[in-house]
Amino acid sequence: MLTATAGKTARTAEPALIRRRLLDARVMTAVSAYVFAIYSYVQPAGYRSIYKTAAERLVFAHSFGTSKGLRLLYGLPYDVATVSGYAAWRVGGVLAIFGAIYGLLVGVRLTRGEEDSGRLELVLAAPVGRATAGVATLVALGTGTVVLWVAELAGLAAGGVPVGGAAYLALATATVVPVCAAIGALAGQLAPSRSLALQLGGGTVAVLFLLRVLADTVGGLGWLRWLTPLGWAELLRPFAGAQPAVLLAPIGATALLLALAGRIAADRDIGAGLLRERDRSEPRLRLLGSPFGLALRHQRGALIAWTGTLAAFCYLLGTISKSISPADVTKGVQREIAKLGTGLITTPTGYLSFVFSLLGVFVCVLVCTQIGAARQEEASLRLETVLAAPTGRRPWLAGRVVLALLGAAVLAVACGGLAWAGARTGGVHLALGRSLEGGANMLPIATLFLGIAALAYAAAPRWSGLISYGVLAVSYLWELVGALTGAPRWLLDITPFAHVGLVPNEPFRVIAALIMVATAVVAGGVALELFRRRDLVGE
Amino acid sequence: MKLPVPAIQTWELTKRYEETLALDRLELKVEPGEVYGYLGPNGAGKTTTIRLLLGLHRPTSGRAELFGIDAWTDPVGAHRRLAYVAGEPYLWPSLTAGETLEFLARLRGTEGVDRAYRDQLIERFDLEADKKVRALSKGNRQKVQLVAALETRADLLLLDEPTSGLDPLMEMAFRDSITEAKERGQTVLLSSHILSEVEALCDRIGILRTGRLIEQGTLAELRHLSAQTVEATFAGAAPTLPPLPGVQVTGTAPNALRFEVHGEIEPLIEALAGHQVLTLHSREPSLEDIFLRHYGQEPDAHRDGGEDRADR
Repeated sequence: MLTATAGKTARTAEPALIRRRLLDARVMTAVSAYVFAIYSYVQPAGYRSIYKTAAERLVFAHSFGTSKGLRLLYGLPYDVATVSGYAAWRVGGVLAIFGAIYGLLVGVRLTRGEEDSGRLELVLAAPVGRATAGVATLVALGTGTVVLWVAELAGLAAGGVPVGGAAYLALATATVVPVCAAIGALAGQLAPSRSLALQLGGGTVAVLFLLRVLADTVGGLGWLRWLTPLGWAELLRPFAGAQPAVLLAPIGATALLLALAGRIAADRDIGAGLLRERDRSEPRLRLLGSPFGLALRHQRGALIAWTGTLAAFCYLLGTISKSISPADVTKGVQREIAKLGTGLITTPTGYLSFVFSLLGVFVCVLVCTQIGAARQEEASLRLETVLAAPTGRRPWLAGRVVLALLGAAVLAVACGGLAWAGARTGGVHLALGRSLEGGANMLPIATLFLGIAALAYAAAPRWSGLISYGVLAVSYLWELVGALTGAPRWLLDITPFAHVGLVPNEPFRVIAALIMVATAVVAGGVALELFRRRDLVGE
Repeated sequence: MKLPVPAIQTWELTKRYEETLALDRLELKVEPGEVYGYLGPNGAGKTTTIRLLLGLHRPTSGRAELFGIDAWTDPVGAHRRLAYVAGEPYLWPSLTAGETLEFLARLRGTEGVDRAYRDQLIERFDLEADKKVRALSKGNRQKVQLVAALETRADLLLLDEPTSGLDPLMEMAFRDSITEAKERGQTVLLSSHILSEVEALCDRIGILRTGRLIEQGTLAELRHLSAQTVEATFAGAAPTLPPLPGVQVTGTAPNALRFEVHGEIEPLIEALAGHQVLTLHSREPSLEDIFLRHYGQEPDAHRDGGEDRADR
């Protein structure tokens, strides 16, 4: 709840409410702060150890400045020949994306999430005004922003970046958080349910990310940077002629969005959204024949949204892949780029291979969300009603796993196909088969994480989300930063992401894929048995 | 003659959740065609029992059978013969009431449901089938669950506080439906807090307390175990009676006395005979009295606090 209207409110309620809100967001905030601190420490520290001399750094800077593939993820580099400039580029770009996701999740959670659960009604039934509830939410969002800012600052400073500059860089990153939290809060006013608010907000953030990617990778579209908070973080230019005046953009946007959200919140019924859903409908009897059918019916919207967004992304990047060229990049530097876990991204196919490997993470997230939906079905006790019918537990869970696999497969094929179509449009000659292979190459690792998620769900239902997303995040972060720590080969190879070939640029790694799938099958089998033998567990 | 297989039978059924002993060596037997009232205060283990019977939770020790089918090792087999109403109506918000009924019916596969009876039930419970679950009140959601369970005509109905949230009219509709089920020979396990409902519907009653079945029998049998209340008013001052076996004075007024009588009432009548009795009321213990007696104190503790109960 966010509102600017003044209500008659017992002042004493505020500390208790604020405390409650902070506790509600604490896990998400703590995990994000951890990621911020570690990531911002490893990057400058690693850079210093790999590129020891100024000459090395200059060569590196020159080649990276032209690499559009890297800009996709990390944003626009201004000056990567210094430790600070490099940190600004590597840390700022990635953490801004993290910050956007964190802001959105917390923004929705503390507004529509509270309302959806019925807790807000309980709070507002006490002598507490809507305004007080709104203030408590704002304090929690503000605190989250500050915590992430401090975490990044601490990480950068520990990594050897001068404190003053680090503070400004961390500030640039942190500006994304309140804007996206305000987007989440506004989505929470529009949508009548938490899941719809997340879809709405998630779609918006995806578009904002896409705008930044276009601005950074397509010549002549740089002005798009002004339209997205992720672009503002770049325009603040940490370590490259700072422009603090740009701060007005995120401040103004946050204030505007929050004022709008507050305005809506003050006037509407609790429990309803501005967008109304129909309360009645003609019976639609399709997909009601089995738990699998019902799951498909419920997940269809989310799967279509995922596939549509990522496939559109692939098409766009396919069209710009033409402009990737190996000119100016020496073999040695290419090796250095490869060391950073991004492969040989100096040709159109190499670039698309990198895009696919990045999308692989999203496919892994997708399968984890499907197991998360299964867990939600159990936590809400609806599963008891289903399993009290003559339906077996193993077929039920197997159905959810199959649904996740199907979703991943559709996503992979769509991405491969659309990347090919984009490349063709852009004038790159790439065989459709190879592009599809690149998409399909994401499936073995997604299967592996599906197996892990299913196992976590069966073995420790209450912790399954934390475990599956945690293992995924740690694995991918290690792939991103592991090489910078100078860790021995075997330690770097511990993450499964190290064993995914950059298809189509490199050959498909059959053995690794087989091992991943075999591991997933074993994990899935154990999961089915464990699930058959345990108690159902509520919230 | 071969005895019919019990609809529900448990042997030392025990469930422990970490530190809490939720169910302690439950021995429960419900014969086919019986309506069994399952009573107990909040947290006594009623829902735990039903979850164990459904094979949703695994017994720590002991076991349960439904129609001779093991509840844990063959839940699907057992579930073909039963229908369940959960204590809380957690359903899918985006489905309409009608779609929910259809989904739950199709889960039963070939056994299916009695569709003609469904229409009758929808009318009886005044259910709006085209309304989405998210727009239904708690009571209306409960009605969706009830119709879904009743339309199956299953041999066994496991009902966990099925009338919570229902208005008095719907409560009557529910009673009619259970009476119909009983007439058809269906077995019902009815966990409830509504004592009048249990009194009206159930053949036998079990009272659960902190995981143990402390009393079981027909209502008549349970009454026999409990005291009846006798109130006498006198023309003059109330007399002082000598101590009588099985009789306790639980209330005094200047010209009235209240007693609780266990067993034979004759000694009390004889003792009163010499005094000028104006009125004499006696009433049998209601289920509520029986129930409160078990709720209000430890089963083996000395009987006291009778005054409070007598004043109710």
